[in-house]
Amino acid sequence: MFLFQLRNELWKLFGKKRTYIGFLMFLLAQNAILILFRFSHVPKQMTRLLEINGLSSTGYISILTLGTMMVVLIAYTMLPLYVALIGGDLVAKEAEDGTMRMILCRPISRIRLLLLKWLAGFIFAVTLVLVLGLFGLLFASFWFPWGGLFVGPPVLSFSVYDAAEGLRRYALGHLFMIPKAATIMTMGFMFSCFNMKPAAATILALSLLMISGILEQVPFFSDFQEWFISYHVNVWQSLFDPRIPWWKIGQSMSILIGYNVTFLLVGCTAFHVRDIKS
Amino acid sequence: MISLRKLRKVFGRRCAVEGLDLEVTPGQIFGLLGHNGAGKSTAIGMMLGQVWPTQGEVRVCGFEVTTHRHKALRKVGAIFESPVFYDYLSGWANLEILSHYTAPTSKARIREVIEWVGLTGREKSQVRTYSHGMRARLALAQALLPQPELLILDEPSDGLDPEGIHEMRLTILRLQKELGLTILLSSHLLNEVEQICTRIAVLNQGRKVFEGTLAEAVKQQDWVRLRSDDFAAAAGELQAEGLITESRDGRLVALAPGVGSERLVRLLVERGRPVYEIAPEGRTLEDFYLELMKEKRA
Repeated sequence: MFLFQLRNELWKLFGKKRTYIGFLMFLLAQNAILILFRFSHVPKQMTRLLEINGLSSTGYISILTLGTMMVVLIAYTMLPLYVALIGGDLVAKEAEDGTMRMILCRPISRIRLLLLKWLAGFIFAVTLVLVLGLFGLLFASFWFPWGGLFVGPPVLSFSVYDAAEGLRRYALGHLFMIPKAATIMTMGFMFSCFNMKPAAATILALSLLMISGILEQVPFFSDFQEWFISYHVNVWQSLFDPRIPWWKIGQSMSILIGYNVTFLLVGCTAFHVRDIKS
Repeated sequence: MISLRKLRKVFGRRCAVEGLDLEVTPGQIFGLLGHNGAGKSTAIGMMLGQVWPTQGEVRVCGFEVTTHRHKALRKVGAIFESPVFYDYLSGWANLEILSHYTAPTSKARIREVIEWVGLTGREKSQVRTYSHGMRARLALAQALLPQPELLILDEPSDGLDPEGIHEMRLTILRLQKELGLTILLSSHLLNEVEQICTRIAVLNQGRKVFEGTLAEAVKQQDWVRLRSDDFAAAAGELQAEGLITESRDGRLVALAPGVGSERLVRLLVERGRPVYEIAPEGRTLEDFYLELMKEKRA
C-alpha cells in the first residue's frame, strides 16, 4: 500500500512539466559552459596553470575536468534553486490548488501523507544530482577527450588525479552532493507545510541558504563556520581534496541528517495543526 | 451516521460555528442550508477531519473524527464545490491516485465506477480536456470508489449548467435509491434541496436556526387561499362566524383551530357567495428560508 501511494506521489511529481525545468536548464547551462570554454581563452589559461605546476596539460583538459568544473558551478547556483522549487511545491501547491482537500477527505493520516511527499521529493533530489553528473560527462564527451581530473582554485584546492581516481572522486562528489540537495529540498518542504504560497516557501528556503552563505563568507565569522548550514551542504567539495577529510565529511553528514529530521518534524507539526480549507 | 455535539470552531476572533448539534441517520438525504459564510463548509471540514474543532464532538460512522479519523472516514466519500484534480493526468490516473489513499482498488472497480458515472471512453484523456460536467462526474466517481456508506456533498452543483444540475439531482436520488447511501448535501440551491432532501438544517452565522423535515419547513400554519367575488366581505363574514382568525393579502385566510375548509365553503354558499377557489396555501422552501433569515436578522 505504501509503495502504491509512493508510486502515485512520483506519478504526480513527474507528471508535471515544471518538474523537468531543472533537468532542462542543466542541459542548457552545461552546453553553454562547454561552448564558451571551448571557444575562449580559458583552456590556454588552464594549460599555463598546469605547466607552472610542472604538469602537462594533455590528458588533464578532459571530460572529467570539464564535468567537475560544470558541477561545481551548477551545484552552487542552479541546484539549490530547483530542489527548493520542488520542495516548496510539494505541499503548498496542492493546498493552493485544492487537491489537498480532495486527499484529506480520505482516511490517510497527515503524517503519512507528508512522509510520502517528502520521500517523493527526496527521490527527485537524488535523480537531479545523478542527472547533473551524467549530463556533465555526456556533454563534455562531445568536445573533450577522456583523461585525468584536474581541479583548482578558486573553489577547490589544486589537485590532479589519473582517470580512474578522478572518476572515483567525481562519483563520490555526487554521492555526497545528494544530502545537500535533500536538505535544501526539505527546507523548502518545511515551509511548504505552513499556510503559504509555493513561491513563498521556495523563496524562504533559498533566502535562508543565502543568508547562511553570506555569513559564512564574512571573515569575522570564520570561527563559527560550523554553525552555518551552507558550510555543511558544501562539504561534498572536500571529496576533491588530495586527502579526503572523512571525519569532517562524517560530521557534516550527521549534522545534515539532524537538519533534515528537524525540518521534517517542524513541517509535520505545522501541517498537522493546520486547518485545511477551500 | 453523522453526529455533531456542541460543535464550535473559532478562527482567530471570528466564530465560524457555534454550539452546533446535528444528527444524520442512515438512509437520509440531509440538506444543510445557509448563506455564504454561515459555517456549512467549516462544519463539513470538521466532519472530514480537515478542520480541527475548537470544542465539541464530531462522530462519523460511529467514530470520533479527531481521534479515529482513519476508521471514521473508511466508508465516506466526499465532493466539494468546483472539484479540483491533477489536470495534467488522465481521469483514470486521478481515480487511481485518490482511491489508493483509502485502500487498494482494483481496475475492475475503477472501470465499474467510471461506467456508473458515464465517463466511459474519456477516462484516459487528460482532465484538463474535461468539461465542468465531466469533472463533476469524475468527482462523483472518486467519491464512490471506496464503496461508501455516507456521501458528503458540498455544493456539488456549483458551476453546472441547468442540464448538469438536473443530472446531478437525478444522480443523487439514484445513489440513495440504488445504493442506499446516506447523503449530506450542502447547497445554495433551495430548489434542489427541496426536491431531494428528506430533512434539513439551516445555519445562520454559525448557529443552527432550524432543523426538521422538509414538510415541517414548508408547512404554513393553516392558511387557506380563498377566491370569491368579494374577498373582503367574505373574510368579514367568516371572521364574524368565528371560522377564521385573520385574513391577508386579499386572498389568504387563517382557519380557526379545529375548523376545516369545507365549513367555509358551506357558509359562503349558504349566503349566496360564489367560491371560485379554496385550497391550502403551501409555501416553497425559498419562502421559508427567506422568512427565517428575515426573522433572524430582525
